[in-house]
Amino acid sequence: MLIEARGVTMRFGGFTAVDAVDLDVAEGRITGLIGPNGAGKSTFFNCLAGDYRPSAGSIRFAGREIAGLTPESHARLGMARTYQVPHTFTDMSVGDNVMVGAFLRHRRTADARRAADAVLERTGLAGQARHRASSLGTAGRKRLEIARALATEPKVLLLDEALAGLTATEIQAAITLVRDIHRSGITIVIVEHIMEVILSLADRVTVFHHGRIISQGTPGEVTGDPKVVEAYLGRSLERQRQRAAEASG
Amino acid sequence: MARFVLAVAIAIALVFPLVFSGAFYERVAALTLLYAIAASAWNLIGGYAGQVSVGHVVFFGCGAYGAAVAYSEWGLPPIAGLPLGVGAAVLLAALVGVPTLRLSGHYFTMATVALAELIRILVGNVPVLGAAVGLMGPAVPRSVWDLSFTSSLPYYYLFLAVLAGLLLFTWWMERSRMGFYLRAIKGSERAARSLGIPVGRYKLYALMLSAGFTAVAGALYLVMVGFVDPDSGVGILLSVKMLIMAALGGAGTLFGPLIGALILVPLEEISNSLLGGQGSGVTFVVYGGIILLIAVFQPGGILAMVAGWWRKS
Ligand SMILES: Nc1ncnc2c1ncn2[C@@H]1O[C@H](COP(=O)(O)OP(=O)(O)OP(=O)(O)O)[C@@H](O)[C@H]1O
Ligand SMILES: [Mg+2]
Repeated sequence: MLIEARGVTMRFGGFTAVDAVDLDVAEGRITGLIGPNGAGKSTFFNCLAGDYRPSAGSIRFAGREIAGLTPESHARLGMARTYQVPHTFTDMSVGDNVMVGAFLRHRRTADARRAADAVLERTGLAGQARHRASSLGTAGRKRLEIARALATEPKVLLLDEALAGLTATEIQAAITLVRDIHRSGITIVIVEHIMEVILSLADRVTVFHHGRIISQGTPGEVTGDPKVVEAYLGRSLERQRQRAAEASG
Repeated sequence: MARFVLAVAIAIALVFPLVFSGAFYERVAALTLLYAIAASAWNLIGGYAGQVSVGHVVFFGCGAYGAAVAYSEWGLPPIAGLPLGVGAAVLLAALVGVPTLRLSGHYFTMATVALAELIRILVGNVPVLGAAVGLMGPAVPRSVWDLSFTSSLPYYYLFLAVLAGLLLFTWWMERSRMGFYLRAIKGSERAARSLGIPVGRYKLYALMLSAGFTAVAGALYLVMVGFVDPDSGVGILLSVKMLIMAALGGAGTLFGPLIGALILVPLEEISNSLLGGQGSGVTFVVYGGIILLIAVFQPGGILAMVAGWWRKS
C-alpha cells in the first residue's frame, strides 16, 4: 500500500471531525472519498497532506511514518495536493505559479523553467502561461493548482473537490486531465461531490459520514450499500443510478 | 524599450549632480540615493516576501552605530565599522526573526514596532552608544579613509555604486529560486508549504539579507552625516519612511523603492528647507496621507499603475 492510515483522529476542541479512520490507498489507483457536507473529508485530507497534525493515529506513506511531519516534508517525499478553495499565487503569472512547484526538484531556474513548460503544455495552460493567475476563472484556477502540484513530481496527488463549481464541459476536460495524470503513473486520491465523477474515475470509494467511514468498496458496491443510501445519498442516489443504468444500457 | 529607459536613467544618474550643481541639490541627490538603498533593502523582506516590518530602523541603527563606535571606541575610520554593523544586524535579524516570523501578517508588523521601540529606549541608556546624546564621527578628516568631504558629490557617487550593487543583487534574486519562493510565500504561506517550500527558513534568510543591506545604509549615513543619536539612528519614523517609499513606488518590484525615494526625499527636503524646523510635523502628515492614498487607490504602487496604463494603451 502506498498510503496506510490507521486510527486517524482529528479533534477541534471538543469536536471530533475525523474519528479513528483507517484507509488504504493502493499504488497506481484512483481512490475516491465521498460524503455529505461536513463529513470530515477535507479535514482528513489535511491530515494526510500534513497541513494538520492528527490528534491521534498513524499515517504511513511508502512505508514511512509521516503523521506530524511538516507539509513541506510531505511535498519532498512525493505528496502533492490541491485545495477545495484554490490558493493560487494571484500576483504571479500562471507560468510562475507552476515554476514554484518545479523548483522543488530543479534548483536551477533554467531547469525549473523547462520542467514547468512541460507541465503547462500537458495541462493545457501553455497558452495562458504569461497571464496573471488572477485573470483565470474557477476552472482555470483549479487546473492551475493541479499543474502546480504536478510540477513537484509527486507519487500521489490529493485532489480536494478539484471539479466543484465547473460547468459540464469543464468537468469533462478535467476528468480527461485526471485520467491522463493517472496514466502517467501517479496515484490519485480524490474528494468529490459529483457522483458521476467518482463513479467514472475511482477504482475504490470510501464513504465518510460524521467523521467516520461507513462504507468502502468499488463504486458499484458502495452505491448499493443501504447504509450509504440511507446516511448520505438518499433518494437522489437512486435516481442517479437509474440514470447511469439508462445511459450505459 | 525597457533597456532604453534603463540606459537613459543610468546616464541621467551619472551626470545629474554635475548639471544641477550646488550644495543643496547635491545633498538632496545623495540623500535620495541613501534612502533608496534603505528602502530597497527593506523591499527584500517587506516587498518580495510580504512580511511588512516597521522595525527596520533597528538594522539601520546597527550600521550607523557600528560605524560610530569604530571611531569613538577605537579611533578607526567610521567605514571600518561597516562589517561590525552588518554583522550585528544580521545576527539581530536571526535572533528576532525566529520568534516573530512565526506570527502572521499584522502581528508580525506589530511585533517589529514593539521591538524597535524597545531597542530605541535601550540604546538611549547605553553609555558606549552615547546614550541619549549620541555619537559623532571624526570632526576633521584625518585621512581619505574617514570619507569626510565637504561636498556631497563623492557621497552621491559612492551611494550610487552601492545602490547599483544592491539592485543587481535583487535582480538576480528575483530570477532565482529564492525570488520565486519569496513571492509564493507572499501569495499564500499554506500553498507555499504544500509545494515543499520551507517557509520559515526562507523568511529568515530574507530578513537577514534585508537587515544586512539596511545596516550598510546606516553605516553610509553615519559616514556622510557624521552624527547619530537614538532618534536619527533608531527612531520609528525612518522605518516608516522605508516602508512608504517602497510601497509608493511598488513594493516587491526591483525599482519601486528607488522611485518612491526619488519622489519623497526631494519633497521632504524641500518642504523642510522652506518651513524650517516645523517641517517634520508636516512630514508626518504627508506620510500619513500617502499611506491612505496607497491603501485606498493603488495597493501596487506607482509601478503597477504605470504597467496598467501600458497594457491598456
Ligand atoms: N479548523 C477547524 N476548526 C473547527 N472545526 C472545523 C475545522 N475544520 C473543519 N471543522 C469542522 O469539521 C467538520 C468536517 O469539516 P470538513 O471540512 O472536513 O468537511 P468536508 O467533508 O470536507 O465537507 P465539504 O463537503 O463541505 O467540503 C465540519 O463540521 C467542520 O465545521
Ligand atoms: Mg471539504
